[in-house]
Order: sequence, then C-alpha cells, then structure tokens
Amino acid sequence: MNGPVTATTHRTTRTAGPLPAAGRPGFGWLLLSEWTKLRSVSRWTVALLTAPVLIILVGLLSAASSQAGNPDSTVSGPDGTWVQDRFHFVHRPLTGDGSVTTRVASTRLELSVPQQDGGDGRTQDVERTVWSKAGLMVKDGLRPGSRYAAVMVTPGHGVRLQSNFTTDIAGPAVGAPTWLRLTRAGSTISAFQSSDGVSWTPAGTVTVPDLPQTVEVGPFVASPAGILMGERQFGTVQFERYPTTTRAVFERPTLEPARATGAASGEPQDGWRDDEVNDEAGQSGPPLPAGARPDKTPQAGPPAAEWAGDRLTLVGVGDIAPRTKSEDVIKLGLTGAYAGLMALVAVAVLFVTTEYRRGMLRTTFTASPRRGRVLVAKAMVVGAVTFVIGLVAGVAALLITLPITRDNGFLPPVYPDWSLIDPTVLRAIVGTAGVLAAIAVFSLALGTVLRRAAGAVAIVIVLIILPQLLAGALPTAAGQWLMRLTPPAGFSVQQTVPHYEQVPRICIPENGCVYDQPWAGFAVVCGYALVTMAVALWLLRRRDA
Amino acid sequence: MSTVYAIRAEWTKLRTVVSTPWLLFTAVAVTAGISAMVTNAASNRTCPVPSPCLDDLPKLSLTGAQYGQALVVVLAVLVMSEEYGTRSIGVSLMAVPRRWRLYLSKAAVLTGVVVVIGSLGVLGSLLFARQVLPGTAFSAANGYQGLSLRDEPTLRAVYGTVLYLALVALLSYGVAAMLRDTAGSVATMLILLYVAPILTAVVTDPRWLTRIERVSPMIAGLKIQATTALDSPTIGPWQGLGVLALWAAGALLAGLLSLQLRDA
Repeated sequence: MNGPVTATTHRTTRTAGPLPAAGRPGFGWLLLSEWTKLRSVSRWTVALLTAPVLIILVGLLSAASSQAGNPDSTVSGPDGTWVQDRFHFVHRPLTGDGSVTTRVASTRLELSVPQQDGGDGRTQDVERTVWSKAGLMVKDGLRPGSRYAAVMVTPGHGVRLQSNFTTDIAGPAVGAPTWLRLTRAGSTISAFQSSDGVSWTPAGTVTVPDLPQTVEVGPFVASPAGILMGERQFGTVQFERYPTTTRAVFERPTLEPARATGAASGEPQDGWRDDEVNDEAGQSGPPLPAGARPDKTPQAGPPAAEWAGDRLTLVGVGDIAPRTKSEDVIKLGLTGAYAGLMALVAVAVLFVTTEYRRGMLRTTFTASPRRGRVLVAKAMVVGAVTFVIGLVAGVAALLITLPITRDNGFLPPVYPDWSLIDPTVLRAIVGTAGVLAAIAVFSLALGTVLRRAAGAVAIVIVLIILPQLLAGALPTAAGQWLMRLTPPAGFSVQQTVPHYEQVPRICIPENGCVYDQPWAGFAVVCGYALVTMAVALWLLRRRDA
Repeated sequence: MSTVYAIRAEWTKLRTVVSTPWLLFTAVAVTAGISAMVTNAASNRTCPVPSPCLDDLPKLSLTGAQYGQALVVVLAVLVMSEEYGTRSIGVSLMAVPRRWRLYLSKAAVLTGVVVVIGSLGVLGSLLFARQVLPGTAFSAANGYQGLSLRDEPTLRAVYGTVLYLALVALLSYGVAAMLRDTAGSVATMLILLYVAPILTAVVTDPRWLTRIERVSPMIAGLKIQATTALDSPTIGPWQGLGVLALWAAGALLAGLLSLQLRDA
C-alpha cells in the first residue's frame, strides 16, 4: 500500500505552486464529477428513489389509518379559527361610539379540583388557571364565535386586551382591584386601566373590522378549565381537565353615552341583561355520525348575576380563546420523512465510505488535491439531491394524504383546510426537505470521520429513532431535552398547529411538543451537520487518505 | 466433520476482527444501560397502590433491548457483508465450497455470540432492576413482588428477549446475504424494525394499530416480554415471537438462495 506516500505527494503538489490548468479543476467541475459519481452507481439510484416511495407510502398509511375524533364544538371565530366562546356576560346595547367603565373589585377562582388522596402530590397542576378572565367586552351580538374586543384582568398575566380570539395584547401588570375602561370609535377599540378611576393608563388598541353599528357591551367573566398532569409512567401520561369557576365583583358598570330609555326607575341594574354565551350548548356544526357522542356533555350554566346596589357579582365558566388539537394533518402526511430519511442516510454515508473502501479516494484526491474542496463538493451534491428528493416527496405525500385525511373527518374548523401554497404548509414542506438535506450532510461527514459504513449508518439512524422511542419512557422533562438536542428536533419545522401564548396546552415531547419556534429545531440539526463537517474537514487534512 | 471446521473458521474470523469486541461490549452496555436509565426513571406515583396500571416491571426493566438490537443488527450484517466488502468471500468459498455449509456455519457462530451477549445484557438489566426497584415505590411493602427468575412469566420474558435478539440477528444476516452491502443492509434492517413504532405513534385507528402490531417484527417480537395483560387481543407472547421467527426464516432462506444461485 502506498497510501501515505501518495498523500504526501499531494501535499507537496498543493504547496509547490500552481498546477497546469488541466490539473486544477474548478469547483464547478468538482461538483459535476461528484454528481456523476452519485448518479452512476445504480444501487444508490435505487436507494435514492426508495426514499420518496417510503415517504409517500408511510404518509399514506398514516393518513389512511387515522380518524378524527368528535369535537365538543365546531364554532369558529371571524377568521375561521376553531374557538371556544363560553362566558357570562352582563350587557346592554351601544349604538355608535362610546365607552364602558367599571371597577373590578375582586376576582376569586373557585376550583373544583378532582379529589387527591391526602394531598400527596401524585399529580401536578400544570396550568394554574392563571388565565381566568374578568373585565369588559364589546361584542357583535351574543352568537358564539362573533367578533369582539375585551379588556380583562387575569390572576397571572395582568391586564390584557384581546380581540377576535387570536389577538392578545399585554397591558399593565396589575391584578384586581382595578378600574377598566373600553372605548369604541368606529372599528377601533381602546382599553384603559386605572387604579383610582381618575387617571387612566392606556392598555392597548385593537382594530376589529366589520363591527356593526350596534354592539353589546358590558362586564364578563370566563374561567378556563385547569389541567392536571400525572407523572409519566410506563410510557403514558394521564391528563385530567377539570372545570373551574371564577366569581368576580364589579362596581358601578357605566355606559357612556347612557341611553335615556334605560334609566326609567333609576336602579343601577336597569337596562343590563344577563346571558351566558356558550358555544357548546347548541351544536351548529355538521351532525355527528350515528352512534357517536360528543367527548363530554355540556355542563350546567353558572348562577345568574346578582346585583347589590351598584355592585354586580358574576360567576363565569369556560373560556374565550382559540381551541387547538394536538393532531396535525400536515405533520401526519409528512411522517414518512422518518422512513425515507434512513435510505438517504445510507446513500450519504456510502458516498464517502465506498471511496475509502475501494481506494478510490486516492484517485479522487489525485484529480483534485485540495481535499477540503472535495468534501464540500460532496456535501453540496448530497445536500442538493436530498433536498430536491425531500421537496418532491413532501409535495406528493401531501397531495395524496390531504384528501384522505379530509375524508377521515379532519375537517374545518377543527382542522384547517390547508392548501399546498399556504405559507405554513410551504414552510413544513421546505423545512422537511431542509432537515433531510442537513441529516444527509451530517451522515456524509460522520462517514468521513469514521470511514466505516456500518457504524456511521447505525449511529445516525439510532440518533434519529432513539429519542422518538425513548422520550416516552423517560420523565417528561428528560424526554423533552432528549428530543430537543437530537437531530429529529428538526422535524418540529413540520408543526402547523399554532401555539397561542394565552392558551394553556398539554405539552409532551412525543406529541411533537419540542420547540415552539418551528425553525429552532432546524437550527439544531444544522448544528449537527456543520460541527461534524468541520471535524471531518480537519481530520481529512490531518489523516492519510 | 468439515462443518465443525467451518464453524471454527467462522469463529476465528469473527473474533479476530478488531471491531467485534467493541461492538459486543457496546451492545451489552447499551442494552443494560438504557434499561437501567428507564428503570431508574420509573415511578408509580399516579397509580394507587397496589396498582391497576399496566405496571409490567420485567418488561420495563428490559427496555434496553429495543436499542441494543441496533448493534446486534450491525454485528449480524457485518458477519456477511464484510466478506463482500473485503472480497474475502472468494477465499471463504474456496475453503468451504459447499455454500450452504458456509452460510449455516456463519449463522451458527452469529447465533451463539448473540445469545451470549444478549444474555449478558438482559441479565444485567434484570439485576439492576432487582437492586433498584425495591428501594423505589415498587417495593415489597407496596405489594410488588421482587423480580425473580423463579417467576414463570419473568423467566419467559428473559429468555424470550435473548431469543428475540438472536432472531433479529438471523433476520439481519439473511438480509445482508441478499443485499451484500453493509450500509444498505443496516439501513434496511433498521427501517424494518423501527418504522412500526413511529407509525403506531401517529396512527389513531385501532384496527390499523392492531394490524401494524401483528406484522411488525419489532413490536410483535417484543410481545414476548409481556408478563401482564397476557390476554391482549393484539397478539400473544409466543405468537408474537413466532411472527419474528417467520420473518427471520424467510430472510434466511432468501439469503441462502441468493448465495446459492448468484455469483459470489
């Protein structure tokens, strides 16, 4: 074997000065030659084509075998978002511009926590119901899901201005007692907070388009369900949602301009009407299939509003917020990426280890003595090829699976009716292709470092699969960190279910709750690729070929 | 007579490769280590005592086999594919011209080695669980029996897991004989084993879940570890291992045919 000698010769030629033009191929030629190597091995072509087939088949199987559950309610907000809209509302009509003011004297959360045996802490309360809401609302009638804007005081998040379910603006970080005011001018709603009812601090402004001339305004109370999470055991976590009620006391709710007809007897409650808005009461969505029942029966409404002079006591249950489902139709359709990836990993590893095995690398380095450029060219070719394969396979998989999942009951408003050109869907597709490319480059670099195909392939595949399987067996926090720090974190780019800061959610890693930011996980997997590439480039210069 | 020599030759080939001891050590370490990690993390705090939860402690304490099997796959693939990778298959066939004899000798040596490392990994996992579990909520005072090989289902889980690893090795060996390529065989095997658990995590339709669990070599095969809920409607312990055995037999046969009928 004259490997070391050959390698030394190359080093000499590299440092000895420029070669004749024919011996010094440009980078474009290097890319072309690596591309020729990749496409001319028929086995690799077969493996590369297996990847999209696996991606599509596994996606098809996942989609065909998934059924959507029956939702509690199918009410949607103004923008089509699936929402919960249940609260206790004392209101009167306001025509044109005006404002409503009240003092929230106190709010008290009345939990109905499930019985715990001796309070031994077997369960932990993940959501301390810090989002119970008491405040003032401007709403387009009483129909659940209609347009609104509301200023509210919450136990854990201060004063907030929210509108149309998805908008949430933080105001002053104070709790009850406090004065609140909501002002309407056309479609602009402004919120104010005050500690004394005299000097007012702005708490935000929102625009609610298409608000009618006459709206219902007044105090409201809502109290979202709490969530109890059991400790993980044997791969399962138990969750329990328990209903809560919030009792709020409002003082001197006043409307300006006051309507002349309402104040006939001079009583403070004159003109205020008491209603519970409840989206779960009347199912307005499509009829349920035969034999199906809603997930739970609607609870009885809260007691009626009580007036004592100008003090109003209001008890509320429910929430005014977007609902979310953990099932993600786009993620489901792209599940196959895990399987297709393994075929791509094998090719990426072989792309370099085969050259070592056959001694071909010495020929390659003779033709192109600058070793780093060869590896970079290989990485670019492998990355580009896997990216294109991932892109094509992702589009095809979604084209096939989206109609199937729709047939299986994944329908709006609970599951958005995605189109492939929606930016969120495009991000999922392009991101998935990017993850495939990054993992392929990582595999190539690891193959260069180890120079052995079996070890490199096994390490990459185990790194991809292991967290997915092991996360369920470890405590939730450990499982989540495992998912965050390993390459499959990149697949969090597939998530299309939005997260709202104002909505508590159940977060377990194997359900895809890894990163809130879709691209954060992608950065992790790119980190793997870059660091391993750097090590590979360094070793390539130092070691004999 | 010459079969004995063939087996001895294969044993020599396997043990004199530098990577083999590393691979064997890692397989045992991963199996026992991940089992220990999971056992250590186990908690029964959500379950009343004694628990109605599916607390299958022997199965829990053998979790590591799911990951140790990846190294068993690599070992089994290397036994066959490296002959092609290094072109030594020609020499091997010159020494043992009866191809089925070479094939079965390799399989026998591989099975023996995997049974030994599988036993080490599995017994290591069980020993750790025996030491650790009585100090946790799973103590005798809470009505949990200590893990013991005298308990018949536990014993079955233990030697069943060793059998499982051996069958996975034979399946991988057969696949490697068909594909004659290290990376391709390892990737094929790991896809075959690990795709099913990913699918069962996303599939919600119970009929499809049952179908996947019945045909997947990994999920069906690992049913042998079950010691509770044995009347599972999906598939029983021995039927499950039988599914894996069918996969292994099919792959072994296909590998043998590939060796007999194609040029080396």
